[in-house]
Formats: sequence, structure tokens, C-alpha cells
Amino acid sequence: MRFVLNTGRTIRQGSYVERKNSPVYREEAASLHMDRVDMLDLEIEEGSHVRVKSDQGAVVMVARPADGLVRGEVFVCLGPYANFLVNPETHGTGMPDFKTTVVTIEPTTDPVPTVRELMEQCGGVGYEG
Amino acid sequence: MTGLLVKNAYVIDPLSGVNGEIMDIAIRDGKIVEEVGSGAVVIDAGGCLTLPGGIDSHSHVCGTKVNFGRYMSPEDMRAGRTARKGVMHVTSGYSVPTTFGNSYRYSSMGYTTVLEGAMAPLEARHTHEEFTATPHQDMLANTLFDGNWSIMEAVRDKDVKRAAAVVAWTLAAVKGFAIKLTNPGGTEAWGWGEDVHSIRDEVPHFGVTPAEIIETMIQANELLNLPHSVHIHCNNLGVPGNYQTTLDTIGLAPDLNRERQSLYLTHVQFHSYGGSTWKDICSKSEEVARAVNARPQVAIDMGQIMFGRTTTMTADGPMEFKLYMLHHNKWSNHDVELETGSGIIPVYYSRKSLVNCVMWAIGLELALLTKNPWQCMLATDNPNGAPFVKYPEIIALLMSRKLREYEMKAIDPRTEHFVPLFAIDRELDWYEIAVMTRAAQAKALGITRIGKGHLAPGAEADIAIYPLKPDELDPAVDYQQVMAGFAKTSYTIKRGRVVARDGEVIVEGANSTIWTRAEVPPEFDLNKDPEFVKKFEQYYTVRMRNYPVQDIYLPRGVSIRTEASL
Amino acid sequence: MKVEDVVCPFCGCLCDDLVVEVENNRVTSVENGCTLANEKLMEDHRLKNPIRRERGSWKDVSYDAAIQETAEILLDADRPLLYGWSGTHGEAQSVGVHLAELLGAVIDNTSTVCHGPSILAIQEVGHPGCTLGQVKNRADVIVYWGANPIDAHPRHMSRYTTYADGFFVKDAFKERKVIVIDVRKTESSAVANEFVKVDQGGDYAVLSALRAIVRGKGDLIPVKVAGVTREQLFRVADICKNAKFGAIFFGLGLTMSPGKNKNIRNAIELTEELNRHTKFTISPMRGHWNVYGSNEVFTWISGYPYAVDFARGIAFYNPGETTSVDILRRGECDACLVVASDPGAHFPRACAEHLARIPTVQIDPHVNATTHLATLQIPVAVTGIDAEGTAYRMDGVPIRTRKLYEGTYPSDLEILGKIYARVKEAKGS
Repeated sequence: MRFVLNTGRTIRQGSYVERKNSPVYREEAASLHMDRVDMLDLEIEEGSHVRVKSDQGAVVMVARPADGLVRGEVFVCLGPYANFLVNPETHGTGMPDFKTTVVTIEPTTDPVPTVRELMEQCGGVGYEG
Repeated sequence: MTGLLVKNAYVIDPLSGVNGEIMDIAIRDGKIVEEVGSGAVVIDAGGCLTLPGGIDSHSHVCGTKVNFGRYMSPEDMRAGRTARKGVMHVTSGYSVPTTFGNSYRYSSMGYTTVLEGAMAPLEARHTHEEFTATPHQDMLANTLFDGNWSIMEAVRDKDVKRAAAVVAWTLAAVKGFAIKLTNPGGTEAWGWGEDVHSIRDEVPHFGVTPAEIIETMIQANELLNLPHSVHIHCNNLGVPGNYQTTLDTIGLAPDLNRERQSLYLTHVQFHSYGGSTWKDICSKSEEVARAVNARPQVAIDMGQIMFGRTTTMTADGPMEFKLYMLHHNKWSNHDVELETGSGIIPVYYSRKSLVNCVMWAIGLELALLTKNPWQCMLATDNPNGAPFVKYPEIIALLMSRKLREYEMKAIDPRTEHFVPLFAIDRELDWYEIAVMTRAAQAKALGITRIGKGHLAPGAEADIAIYPLKPDELDPAVDYQQVMAGFAKTSYTIKRGRVVARDGEVIVEGANSTIWTRAEVPPEFDLNKDPEFVKKFEQYYTVRMRNYPVQDIYLPRGVSIRTEASL
Repeated sequence: MKVEDVVCPFCGCLCDDLVVEVENNRVTSVENGCTLANEKLMEDHRLKNPIRRERGSWKDVSYDAAIQETAEILLDADRPLLYGWSGTHGEAQSVGVHLAELLGAVIDNTSTVCHGPSILAIQEVGHPGCTLGQVKNRADVIVYWGANPIDAHPRHMSRYTTYADGFFVKDAFKERKVIVIDVRKTESSAVANEFVKVDQGGDYAVLSALRAIVRGKGDLIPVKVAGVTREQLFRVADICKNAKFGAIFFGLGLTMSPGKNKNIRNAIELTEELNRHTKFTISPMRGHWNVYGSNEVFTWISGYPYAVDFARGIAFYNPGETTSVDILRRGECDACLVVASDPGAHFPRACAEHLARIPTVQIDPHVNATTHLATLQIPVAVTGIDAEGTAYRMDGVPIRTRKLYEGTYPSDLEILGKIYARVKEAKGS
């Protein structure tokens, strides 16, 4: 199914912003908030893993029901999970379209990667500090 | 130190009574001395015009609104840029240059001291950060009190001593130099989108008038024995017919100080308009100059405008909004809680605009009609009237009737019906220019006592040597040479060190910031005043302990201490 | 030891009324702070020493070696990018700009992915704003547009708006109307007097509709504009026009969504329009505690608030070309120095991939996403905890952060100063 991915701050993301390799940060940054009816349509429940795909790539996240969103819109706090999907085109403004990425979402049983693993997929070398 | 010797200098040093003598100037340890030994480095001035370093007594170069002028104007940044070269950093900007741009350009014009015309106390730290990055001029900051709640409360209570205590506390806290009133009362009214329209209008909610604020602050200033007088930007700036407000304001000034004026009125060109609309605006420079001539207790600066592009910036928020309604160019505004306001818009002064031509004439008229040059300083309210790099042109216009007549042919032909400029024959001489660009400023600011503005032994060795030979030039005719000569010194010497040569800065600078500390008796120390402390914590959004500018922001601070007569 | 009036180095609110307890070089308690402040100040997870990537694994290195290598990387680069800066103090930012000048580098700060579009709009139409105390003392109408202060600036409402009593507004909660305009419901919209739900991407249209109504052209407005009813638009316009003092605060909901800088321009022009009727101001909700400081410092030195390119000797500025995301997207820079930010986490993936391809040096106290992409990381003191310096609040008010204890880490200023000195020496200037 097709969705528009919005991003923004959450208090939990902010609280753990300097511990990006912690389990809590991963849990928050990889949470995909969506409308409950959309979840029913996808036949997923709270905590289900989903593969979220854009023209830039795909990343596995965890679905969470949210009240503030309308159908067809999903929200992920800003961070490396959402950014795995965001197109770097800025249309001459310097600013990518962080709030309107078109994605498809499907259930999966694959694990949610760690921040380190995401960065390794970008070509980095994980630091275990 | 072996010292420095400037030989064969054609010196004009008005404060020392020197007018065009060929002299040697000896310098040691940053000061002028009687003589130096034979090992001194010698500069041969070759009979060229040698003056104390230039002093700008009203310019906007550092701080929140100036930087916002840069921030919002990439087009202005592009209009003046230089690459890194030698010790010189990259510079950008034409009307609002970067700090190094300001500093280098002033230095190559022989200016060694600059007063920032408007510093909001709450944002003083910003001004001081930029002062440090303006390394070739000693800097001073006029501190805004026009909408200060504690001041207005003291005025309402008719408590001059309380007002003095607020000034003393604030200047010490923000390392400010002098009292600035910008549209007194008007900036507070602007907090509600309103303004005051005469010195007798009441400020909303505070029950005081601009006149009461001005009178109280003049008294408070003298109670604190501050070096400078109250420095005022009158109400109604830029409004046709505003000369009456200006005359009313001049009328408020008592004569309280033997050393200097008791009231300094800035950019008076913007305050000398007759008429009632933009259609019938005319010059009232004669009326204003007459009032100044009659009252030695006031001094003014010109606020000259020059044709071309520039950026207007002032604490006078309501005025900038009015200007925006006129120009519909971009507009910025920044009100500062409990203290003041500010606004910025870019403008273009056109020779094809009758209003602009009238404004241009008024500034020159004020300088030519004020009999005593010590009472009228040369300034453009940089960059409001024009960027300061236009000063040499203004000097040339003041020295040459021929140049003024030449200009007359290029401007709106109707101008002469609205201004007296073209009937004025006066041509200023070298001495008068020296007064109007440094000596009068030093006297008006009260900084001769720390060795500014003159070249007598003991003075700071701030010297400008211009490639101009007064004996061989007739400024009335050779105005091109006058302009070129004042634009680039052969040598600018700052505190005994050659800092610029032929228009290029050759050393890293190390300036001072000059501020005022008025010592008050303990009962007037507001740090211990529970009422003041309580209101501070209630209404400001910074804690009182985080408000004062720490010493670290003034790596070479010079404080002028005074003993308050409270 | 108790320290009072502590300045919080987290968000653009720059609250300066915290009281903290310090024991053995650690903050052990925080009063008055929000969750974000508590988490930041009570931190306990610094990178211990400089680290260097060597053939697929990480080794500890000395500060001196790390500084030397950084200087060499920068000197060797043809097109270095110096990015970040918003999480450090102004004095360090200043050295950064001079370093960029010396290297002929591009220097950019986090505004580039935050309020960069707001700056572009301000450069078109200006910015009628004010300090936050002006709002606290006077405002009777507050508008949050595309902003969620409860999550991003948790004390904004209690210190400056919704709950902040002021001189002319004695009982803020009763006397002040709060309007939240957003594409989704948030914690912040839940406390608003009026919530305006806009369709995704519809902000520009809604701003235009409000401008039309304020200008007296309300008859042009259709029944619904981007999901907002005509009635609600008129009601909101009416509240704004009848305000004694209104203040709009906007967030990334406007800068990042379709329209970007044009959304902000429209919002500023609405503010100007409202000023013909009453007093209105508009302010961006700046994110990092000192992102505004980086704009200020960049501007007084170079003339431009961000995205400054010194490659031609002069300062050149062209957002869209000289902005970090574009430079990385094009694979243009051949070395990157990251200071006090985390592009690995906050830039699109393609940019992170380029950072991993080139020598990337990070100066940052913590292990973050960029660490894994870097070749070298130098840990430093945290400004506001064990380093001090100047910060500019979201409204431009400069406040000096406090050092709470004498720690063992060097500050950003010290590290950058040494890198600058080595580069300068090598350049022979």
C-alpha cells in the first residue's frame, strides 16, 4: 500500500539523540506511526515489523498505531531510519522533502537493523564504543 | 620601543590649536610624546595633511540589527566583496559590510574610533562580539533607553536619581558608553503597533511623555557625570513637518555642562522637514540651524544622505514600518522586551526623486548653516543616509560650491524651489573639516580626556596622513583630488602602529572598547534593590545574573570611571 | 555543589533558569529543566578518546595525532566541506569560519536542513519579529504553525507563550488564545483553543486564504481550502485581526513541506498584512540551542548565514548549490569536517553514503550515527557542561553558557584552534 511519510521531532527522540546506538533510540527512531484502519488493511498489529520502501531504498521498522494521523499518512521521527528513504533532491533550496516521501509498506518478519547496521549499509565501519 | 617619528607633516589639530603647521610628531608606546631618539622609525609625510585619527560619533556597524541587515541582504553582500589578502580577511557587503569590511574601509579612510549608534542592552553581548571582530577601531556603544520600563517608571515618579541609578546599573552591566534615546516613548508604543507624534504625546500605559523622558535623562546624565551627553534620535524621524518636533526638542536642552553640549541630536537631516506630505516636503534647515546657532548647549550631526543604494536600520521600529509602507521593499522588525525596538529596510536614494533631492540638500545645508563647526559633525548615520565610504564625497561637497552646482544639474530640477542650498556660498576649509570629522566628535563624546581626537603629547597616537597637500590644492576647484585623498590615507596609524598604507590594511588589529562606569552610592545600587530585582525576574526572559556582559567580551576594555553626584 | 541560573544547551529556547547539582564531574540533578534538558545535562556516555578507522576497524589515537591528521586531510582536500556548528559555542564557530576561509572550503550549518528555507524567505521579504519577552508580556494571540513545541521545545509554552504570565497579560492561560495549525494532531494541538488541521502540503493555500481574508477579499474563499473550512478560516483571521499583540511561531512543518521557502514567505507576508490592522510578529522555532548563533557568526564574518563557499577566495553563497545536502548528493566534496552535529542520522541516505566514501572527521563528544561513517573522531567537552561560550537564543538574544565543572576534555575551541594553527602554518600565511 502507498503512503506519505512525514517526519518530525518527538520528546523521546530528543531525549536519546545523543545515545543513537542505544536500544531506546532505535525503538523510537524505527517506530512507524500510522492510522489503525490502515494497520487493519495491512493485517498488522502494534509491534509488527514492516518493510518501508521508497525510491531510495527500503528499511524495516515497527508499526505503531497513532491517533493524530489520517489514513494514508505515516509518521516516523527524524533520524537515520526515516532518512534511509528520503530523496536527497532539494529542488534548488538546499532542503530535501523530509515531510512528504512516498513509500510503500508491507509486513515482514525481517529484523529491525541497528543504527550501526544502517550506517554500515551506507559504507561505514561500525564502532562498538 | 624605539618609537616612530612622523616628519614634515602638515598638521591640523584643532583641539591643540594647530592649524596647518609643518611639524614632526613623535610617538612612543602608543602615545604622542615630546621627542623620540634617533633610532626611531621615520615616516616622511612630505607636507601632506596630517590629522588626528578620524572619529565617527554615530554609525551602525555592530550588533543585532546590523547583522540582521547583512543576514537579510545577500544582494548587498554580493555588492562589495574582497578576497583574503595578506592579513586581511574576506569581506562582503556594500552598505552593511561584514565587520572586517567595516574595519578595513574605515581604517583606509583614516578612522580609528567609531561609536555604534544603538545597542539594545539585552543584546549587548552581540555588539561586543562584533566589536572584537572590528579590530582597527576603538569602539563605543550608545545604549538604548528610549523604551526602558524602569526609566519610564522613574520619569513618571519624577525621580531623577532613580533614573540615574538605572542608567548607571545598565551601562555597567552591558559595558555601554552613553545614553541613547531613539524616538523616546515611540519604541514602547510600537510594542502595540502605535507611535508618538510629538514630544507631548503620552506613551501608552506609562503616563509619561517623550519630553519628560528627555528632560529627566539629561538631568540624570549630568548627575552621573558621564563623558558624553544624552544622544537623541528625535521623535517623528522622516515625517514631513517634523522640524517643529526637532525645534521643540532643542528647546528642552538646558546648558548644564561647561565641557561639552548637554544634548546631542543625531542625523538631524532626517528631522528638518517642512511641509505636511511627501508632495510639499521642503527644507527647514535654516530654522533648525538657527536654533543650533543660538544654543551652544546642543550639538548635532548631519545625517547626510547620498544618492544610491543603502540599507536603513534603526531602533525606531515604527518609523521603519512607515518607510516600508512607502517603499514596499522587504521589511524587518525586532522589538526588544522592556527596552526598545528596531527595524530595517533597504532603500535607494534617487536623483530622480524630488523628496530624496530635498533630503540630500538639507544635510549639506545643516553643515553650511551651522556657524560653529564644533556643533555640527559630519556623518551619514551610516548606513542610513549612505555608507560611510561616501564621506570623502561629502567633504568635497562641503568644500566646493562648484561641485554642488555641478550636482544641481544632475538632480530633480524642482529641488531648488524647496531648499536654500544653492543660495549658500560658504565653502568649508581644511580646518573646519578636521573639526567636523574628529575634533568635534572627541569633544562631544567627552573622550579627549583619554587622549582621543588630538595630537598633543600624552594623546593616543591615532593619526591619519592623507595624500593631500593643502598648500598646493584649491579644494573649491580640485574636488576630485579631495575626494580621492580622503578616501585612502597614505598612512593610518593606530596607537603608534602603522595599520594601513595606501588603502590596504597591513597588520592584524587590536582595538579597545571604551565604556563608562558611573560609581553610585550604595543606596542607588540596583543590584541590591528588591523591587528592581523582582521586576527583572518577572518580566525579562533572561535571569538577572545572566544579563551582564562578562569581562571576557572586552579583551581590551577601557572604562571611564565617573563619580556620580547623587 | 549547586549551580544556579544554568543555561540549557539543548533547544533554541535556551532556558537560563536551571538549577543543577554537580558532584565529581557529573551533573547529578536538574531542577526547572524539561525532559530534554535533564537527559542532556545528566549524560554519562562520552566517547573516551580520539578514535581512528584503520582498515575496517577502530583504534584509539592521541589528540595530537588526531589533530595533525585532521589538518592533513583538510589540506589535502580539493573541496572540503565543514559542516555542523549548531551544537557548539560562537567562539568555536568563529574559528570554523576562519578555517574555511583559509582552506577555500565550504562551510555550512544545520540550518541547511532546518530553517534554511526561512532564511531564504527572509532574504526575499524581511522578518518582522521580536524577542520572546515581548510575546510573554504582551501577546494575547499565539499561533503555532507546523510546530509542535511540546515535543521539540518543551518549555516554550510555559516560559514565553501559553502559560507565561506577563506585564500586560496577568493571567496568560485565561487571557491568551492559542491557535495550532498543523497537518496532524500533536500534544501541542491538544492544548490549543483552536486547532486547524491542514491537508498535507496545503499550508501555502491556507496562508494565502488567510491573507485574502485579512485584506478584505474574503469573498474569494471557497468552502474548503486544503481541508480547512471557510468558517474556520474566517474565525482564525478574525481572532488575529482583533488581537492586541499576536505572535506566530512556525516550525519545520512549513520549511520542509512542499513550498518550503515560499510557505515562509507567505507566512511573513500574512504577518505584514496583519500589521496594517494591529501588532503582529513572526518567529521561527529554531531547533539547536545555538543554531542561530552559527547564523550570526557566519554572517558577521562572511556576510551570509549558511552555505558559504570560499573556493573562489571571496565568500560565495548560493543555497541549492552550496548547501551541504546538494554538495554531498553530487558527490562533490572530497573531505568533510563535521562539528557538533550528526549528518549521518539527519541527512538523506545518499549523503551518508558519500560521507563514508571520503575522509570524514567528526568533532563531537558522543558516538552517534556519523561516527560509523567517519575516519576519525575527536571527543570534546560539551558546551554548557564542561565548556562555556556564547549562544544565541531563537530570538537573537545572546547568552553565555556556563561551565559547570572543570572536566578533562578539550573544548571545540581548543581543538579547532589547533587545527587552524597547523593549517595556517602549512599554508605559510
